[in-house]
Amino acid sequence: MIPSGIYGHQGPAEGCYVPIEAFPLFSDHASGSYFWDVDGNRFIDYMCAYGPNILGYNDPDVDEAARKQREKGDCTTSPNSIMVDFAELLVDTVASADWAFFAKNGNDVTTLAVMAARAYTHRKKIVFFKGYYHGISPWTQKIDYAGVIEEDVMNNLYVDWNDAEAIERVFAENKDEIAAVIAQPYMHGNFKDNELPADGYWAKLRKLCTDNSTVLVVDDVRAGFRLDIAGSDHYFGFEADLICFCKAIANGYNVSALCGKEFLKNTISSMSYTGSYWLSAVPFAAGIACIEKMKRLGCPELLIRKGTQLKKELIKAATDSGFDLHVTGVPSLFYLRLADDPSLMLHQEWISECVRRGVFFTNHHNHFINASLTDGDIAETVAVAKEAFAVVRDRHPEL
Amino acid sequence: MAEIIDQKTLAYINMYGVLGSLTALCDNVPEARKILGQSGTSIGFAVKDGPKATLTFIGGRTLIKEGVEDCAIRLPFSSPEKFNGMINGTVTPIPTKGITHLPFLLRKFKKLTDLLETYLRPTEEAMRDEEFFRASTAVMFRLIVTAVAQIANHDKVGQFSASNIVDGPILLEIKDFAKAALIAKDHHLTFTTKVPKTVMSYMQFADVKTARDLFDGKINSVAAVGDGLVRIGGMISQIDNVNRILSRVELYLK
Repeated sequence: MIPSGIYGHQGPAEGCYVPIEAFPLFSDHASGSYFWDVDGNRFIDYMCAYGPNILGYNDPDVDEAARKQREKGDCTTSPNSIMVDFAELLVDTVASADWAFFAKNGNDVTTLAVMAARAYTHRKKIVFFKGYYHGISPWTQKIDYAGVIEEDVMNNLYVDWNDAEAIERVFAENKDEIAAVIAQPYMHGNFKDNELPADGYWAKLRKLCTDNSTVLVVDDVRAGFRLDIAGSDHYFGFEADLICFCKAIANGYNVSALCGKEFLKNTISSMSYTGSYWLSAVPFAAGIACIEKMKRLGCPELLIRKGTQLKKELIKAATDSGFDLHVTGVPSLFYLRLADDPSLMLHQEWISECVRRGVFFTNHHNHFINASLTDGDIAETVAVAKEAFAVVRDRHPEL
Repeated sequence: MAEIIDQKTLAYINMYGVLGSLTALCDNVPEARKILGQSGTSIGFAVKDGPKATLTFIGGRTLIKEGVEDCAIRLPFSSPEKFNGMINGTVTPIPTKGITHLPFLLRKFKKLTDLLETYLRPTEEAMRDEEFFRASTAVMFRLIVTAVAQIANHDKVGQFSASNIVDGPILLEIKDFAKAALIAKDHHLTFTTKVPKTVMSYMQFADVKTARDLFDGKINSVAAVGDGLVRIGGMISQIDNVNRILSRVELYLK
């Protein structure tokens, strides 16, 4: 009934579920840090719905704010004034934001950012960093993706992350042609360790963009609010011209936002860009409650602290079991790789044994910490990880 | 406007995939071995600005290797288009070497390639025969995996996919039936039936029927992974990109 079953990044064909029988495909319900599959098995969830769950599933404060707004009205002819409240809160919260524009998905706002950059600069080319993910519109995909034609991606330029010479070269070779540089705050691509920006790299990118009148877009859809409540550009000490949020912005309620600098406001105003449900009020109420609660909790710091504790104990469990576990990226958004085997088959075995024991990791994607994760959950996770290491060790006496 | 296929890439597929699958035909179909008998000879196909390879027939088997230096019969082609024309039957090549072997070319080789066509473009009726079905799938498997390597190495879009493939052997397998490997090195893929002991990644079809349904476009590989009919493991980025190249095989072989 549904082409390919569970499609997209949450589907088994993405390679995150190897072997498929170790992973639950459909959930029944969720609460806090857990979800239960349709067979009643509970999992400590380190994917957090691929990011949106930042406070815990069914957070009472966010859900109550959403419930109250639903009673007042959600999808109405004239948008509810709570939209303005949410925009003001984002502008007050995000360091580089002078305005906020709302949509539904990350892809909506990354696409708006690129269109705005092209409209503002009257240029075509966009610089991407290899290993990127910015959504599913044709411009975000590659020439070998089904349904994408050469013309969709002919203005895309690809550069290796952290290669300062390469980015300088691309600017020199495409003088006055680059509309935007779009980047996640650091390289959290798959199948290899995540890579933080090298010292001075963001400063160099910022300067190159400024000097060349190119718009600097930060795609903070995945990492947003897990590094810094004021935006991941703030975390790394620079200011983006445009910054894209989704996932964690409303703890699972469906809203995304593009925030930007004053000089781009008129450009955005001139664009024809909207959708049927983009001005729904319930997600705005949820977003306000979520951001306010994240501020009260000191959320990014809390998540980084929890992630650091988990990272430390997982590495110790691996070392004690004779394995070389790499935990990379910012700890609130950690990436796992068992480095004992370049093919990653051993890694996949270990991950699958963790999942079979109720800890939901995936094979090749960064993970997410949420604020409801307890010390007890971390202890249980580490115990499961140790058990899984022992199973893998027993299965591979040759190691 | 429909996507235009690259004639040079097609020539490489026709050489190593289509003509190369004569090896699988002889290995799997007794009639093919019977046609060849014990006669031994070789045909070199020299395509200007394209592939150059020799088919060797010996003891009822067929081998293919790069180069035309040692062939008994030499067939030159002025362009990939001309060579592709021979494969689709619109161009008749004239040998520049081995005139005395013409009877082999006109009779046995013609019979062999006609037989190959029945296995590569089988009728529904023929496929109801289990033995034919299995042999046809074995021949198709070799053709498709070889075509993946050629598309990765020569087709512009395939080269993009290959540029994202890390080094190491990739196993493609029909469980309990057939296996082959693509050796990735510096973003170049080489086909081999000699599968290394350790591989970097694998894609395993559950059975012959699953493989056949995938080849015939009756099921989709992404959906089949979800159903557990295709198992993948190891360096998934290799498989992901091989899958993208696989989706272009149909473009060239339709």
